[in-house]
Amino acid sequence: MKTVIEVRNLSKSYRNSVALDSVILSLEPDRIYGLLGRNGAGKTTLMSMLTAQGFPNSGEVKVFGEDPYENEQVLSRICFIRESQKYPDSFSAKHAFRSAALFFKNWDQELAGRLVEDFQLPVKRTIKKLSRGQLSAVGVIIGLASRAELTFFDEPYLGLDAVARQLFYDRLVEDYGRYPRTIVLSSHLIDEVANLLEHVIVIDKGRIIMDDDAESIRGSAFTVVGSADKVGTFLQGREIIHTDNFASLASVTAVGTLSRAEKTEAAELGLELAPVSLQQLVVRKTISAAGADLGASKTSSLEVTR
Amino acid sequence: MNRVVNVLRMQLVNRWIFIGIPLIIIAASFGLSWVIWALVPFDEVKASGGSQAVLWYFFALGIQSLTLTFPFSQGLSITRKTFFGGTVALFSLIALAISLLFFLLGLLEKATGGWGVNGQFFALEWLVDGPWYQPLAFYLATMMALFFIGFWAATIYKRWQTTGLVVAGLGVAVGLVGAALWINFQGQWPQIGEFLVSQNQMSIAGLLAVVALVLAGGSYLTLRRAIP
Repeated sequence: MKTVIEVRNLSKSYRNSVALDSVILSLEPDRIYGLLGRNGAGKTTLMSMLTAQGFPNSGEVKVFGEDPYENEQVLSRICFIRESQKYPDSFSAKHAFRSAALFFKNWDQELAGRLVEDFQLPVKRTIKKLSRGQLSAVGVIIGLASRAELTFFDEPYLGLDAVARQLFYDRLVEDYGRYPRTIVLSSHLIDEVANLLEHVIVIDKGRIIMDDDAESIRGSAFTVVGSADKVGTFLQGREIIHTDNFASLASVTAVGTLSRAEKTEAAELGLELAPVSLQQLVVRKTISAAGADLGASKTSSLEVTR
Repeated sequence: MNRVVNVLRMQLVNRWIFIGIPLIIIAASFGLSWVIWALVPFDEVKASGGSQAVLWYFFALGIQSLTLTFPFSQGLSITRKTFFGGTVALFSLIALAISLLFFLLGLLEKATGGWGVNGQFFALEWLVDGPWYQPLAFYLATMMALFFIGFWAATIYKRWQTTGLVVAGLGVAVGLVGAALWINFQGQWPQIGEFLVSQNQMSIAGLLAVVALVLAGGSYLTLRRAIP
């Protein structure tokens, strides 16, 4: 299958920190990707490199099969409004939309107008006077109405109220249904966007620690709730990733899937089975990656002392 | 090419900045000068340097086009080359328009006896003392040089932040002092003096044009790797 983005061994370091560490990625067309990770994990840096707004130290980026740097053919099919996007001083949202319409050939003015009403955005006020949420709305509207083949949303929900966030998610799914394209949604609010995502990429300290289908990630673990003894016996021999105890009750998350027989057994034992949320899995994966990191640095420091 | 023109149109989306405010600055600086001329009880020629006010406004616009419009253009997936082409085209057109305006107003100024009060604003004596196109060339070259100084300085800031600006500033200063020392050492000051005295308005405009071109080249090379 043709890929939209191919990344090979991409690395980028700033003076005191590593922002990206040998990243390898491949994104397919017409899917919604979640780029998840903590603040400072390297999400924005990665997107900057993919859109040739920033420069890697080493590695290779191919978008639509070509190097995006100064490549009109490639860039004209991409939209990336960063979270801290700057606008000309005197510009109002209306000016920004009019500018965007000049450059995105699929720009839909009608959609932009509808979104303006959804977000109740004052289009005539200069952008520098807008609130954080309204500023995010400007970026979201450009991102959606551009209908670019490859659209990046960089933490688009910052400052948006709950209603506006829901509207954004709804409009995104709606428009994506009508005009499929590749969407990369960077976020650290995982639960909120979990239902939208078809594929999940988790980045931590510049490394990709998870890159899989949202469905298979959700199916990769399960939670059992019940009396602590019974849960313990039931999960004998399985890899446990998390345990919560309340009095004699336990809620334990284990890796893997359950066969039908095992499910029946659980029901007979009076145990409740629950799916694991994407957020829980990502959080645990990130913590355990950090733990491994800690372990590794401990051994290396031991080696040094030796 | 189409996208280059669109960069130009994008910056004119808000006409006020590039057309409205400059006209107001020109009108206001001229109006104030006229009032003062009318008040001064002096019948000889009264010159005003007010026409340069708008040139400094463009110097500031040159800086802003890079610190704010460039990051915005990156968000719209415009290549650095296209942004540069469109922005330089825009400033060249505006510089040309203002030069023409000043030139025509200068003709009017002379025809009306210095706006009825013997004032000199657009057709400054030193500027019009030469071929008819001289003020035109001088205004144009000056505006472009000023624009590129602002534009390149802002590009250096974008690319290397404060460190870059400090290093560039120090570099220019050290270069000038070094040149002065060298001239001193070689005992070349008389020749330099001769050279300066031999310059006329047109050759200064020419020098400014060369400076503007060099600055344009430097700006472009710096912009190639600038990040928004």
